[in-house]
Amino acid sequence: MRVRKRLSGLLADAALILYFVFALFPIAWMVILSLKPTNQLFSTYFSFSPTLDGYRAVLGGSEGVPFVRFFVNSLVVSVGAVALSLAVGLPAAYASARWRFKGSDNLMFTLLSFRFAPELTVIIPLFVLYQKLGLFDTYVGMVWVLQLVTLPLIVWIMRSYFADLTPELEQAALLDGYSRKQAFFKVALPLVRPGIAAVSLLAFIFAWNNFVFPLILTSNEAQTVTVGALSFLGGDRPKYNLTAAAALVSVVPPLLLALTIQRYLVRGLSFGAVKS
Amino acid sequence: MSVALRGVRKAYGRNVALDGLELEVREGEFFCLLGPSGAGKTTTLKTVAGLERPDAGTVEIDGRDMSGVEPYDRGVAMCFESYALYPHRSAYDNLASPLRSPRHRLPAAEARERVGAIAELLGISALLDRPVGALSNGQRQRVALGRVLVRPASAFLLDEPLSHLDAKLRQQMRAELKAIGAARRTTTLYVTHDAVEALALGDRIGVIRDGRIVQTGTREEIWYRPHDTEVARAFGRPRINLLPGTVAPGGVFRTADGQVEVPLPAPVRENTEVLIGVRPRDLALDGRGHELTGTVYVTEVLGRAVEVTVRLGESHVSLVAPRAAAAGLRPDDPVRLTLRPENLLLFEADRPERPGRRIGKSAR
Repeated sequence: MRVRKRLSGLLADAALILYFVFALFPIAWMVILSLKPTNQLFSTYFSFSPTLDGYRAVLGGSEGVPFVRFFVNSLVVSVGAVALSLAVGLPAAYASARWRFKGSDNLMFTLLSFRFAPELTVIIPLFVLYQKLGLFDTYVGMVWVLQLVTLPLIVWIMRSYFADLTPELEQAALLDGYSRKQAFFKVALPLVRPGIAAVSLLAFIFAWNNFVFPLILTSNEAQTVTVGALSFLGGDRPKYNLTAAAALVSVVPPLLLALTIQRYLVRGLSFGAVKS
Repeated sequence: MSVALRGVRKAYGRNVALDGLELEVREGEFFCLLGPSGAGKTTTLKTVAGLERPDAGTVEIDGRDMSGVEPYDRGVAMCFESYALYPHRSAYDNLASPLRSPRHRLPAAEARERVGAIAELLGISALLDRPVGALSNGQRQRVALGRVLVRPASAFLLDEPLSHLDAKLRQQMRAELKAIGAARRTTTLYVTHDAVEALALGDRIGVIRDGRIVQTGTREEIWYRPHDTEVARAFGRPRINLLPGTVAPGGVFRTADGQVEVPLPAPVRENTEVLIGVRPRDLALDGRGHELTGTVYVTEVLGRAVEVTVRLGESHVSLVAPRAAAAGLRPDDPVRLTLRPENLLLFEADRPERPGRRIGKSAR
């Protein structure tokens, strides 16, 4: 009996280790790649002289690629997109959770359907529109187009949070003498804070990771890290080590965010499972 | 201020919650709405508060039609059965919430005084700093009640405000509520499923069933002239004895086995199927009046009194007798019961679609 127990424990450990190797291998490879000097890029064995030159080149802009600016662009555009989506999406989510109005279901479905089609299907008309409207390669244009990514996510997830709140709390606020607006801001909103934190992080990551929109709708001024990291592959010799370094640097903000709000995240993403 | 509902109908999908409800609560009255769960009690309160919009009919407060008036403009205060306390705030902040709202704002010092007084009254002064999540159900219920009482209101709407208190505390709070009602003369609409509570508190009682008011009246009216067998059964423990039988020639009620015969309290056509009702406290083991004979089935001591169940042929009746009178009774002992004919209640036989109505002078 005990032998069997220990054996199954060992098997589980082995399976976990296997999974870790599987999951972490690409990342480990990227780390190794980013530390390689340019002249050893194509060596297949692991013995090389690790160097931070790649990171210096990426952050110092010595290759003619303004990577730091791309990084700042990514931050501005992603934060902007999430902020706008929250400002518009929270009231929308609340309204659709609390009231049935004419066409409310259709509206919600339409919003969700933005996520069905691949972005490529709309990118050409958007490109033409953006050129004409002067939104091409601007922050405003990027924040706007990223609403396609962040808004449906925020509205749909926050809607289920609001639906989980008993309406009697806001009703009590109305009878306490507060207006509907105050009931929303003072009672409903504070209670879904864990949800807001979790969904904002998710939306931020989706916006940060988006590739197609900045690829087509920006050229330089508003270009983001996802596209910018590929700049190192142009020219006669692709510098994979620089791309790897750039990619790893661009992982930092979402990772830091996730770690700081981890507490909220677990509570936020397990909504519905635990009723208060 | 007076509160009236006129022909109010409210349906949730196919589910009819209120079916032409008529109700009038007079100014300063403590009105108890009594009914089983699902009868439409909470919907009635929420309709008065303006939280639910009636499909048809009107709500009037102080004679003014309230359609289109927002809840915060109606001036009513409501205690929710679910408490509806703000879980992210302390007990104090919950109690003080109405006094910080634009409608009922008080200066902070005055608000503190008011909250302190109400907390004292409800016995929750020591809990004010706690978050409501750290309170027991009974404590939360008192905070919820306090949030209602802390400010002046045109009417109090209380939805089972004592249901989660233990028996002793409930009794105490009941007395407290009665005293508050008497002192403030604020119109109160009090919802409960507990007949004892309704009898103890209500100046008048309304019995609600399936979204309609079955009967309204003072406790005496409801007790002595119940509208139908359900109302009769709802009030009084042990329950009223209801014996089925028919009207025999000569205006006499007789059970099917012929073992019980009593004079009819109201004239009814011969051979009609009826129910005769007599409350356990109106049957005596010694005394004068109409006599019945039977045998003891079982006895149960209830403190100073004894509940005796007696077999009369095929039927059983229960009665409450003083302990001395019931001492020495053993199962199968023969007993003689007496009752006063004026205490008898006569009902139509129960039918599947509706309980039997009382036959006699109307009580509505």
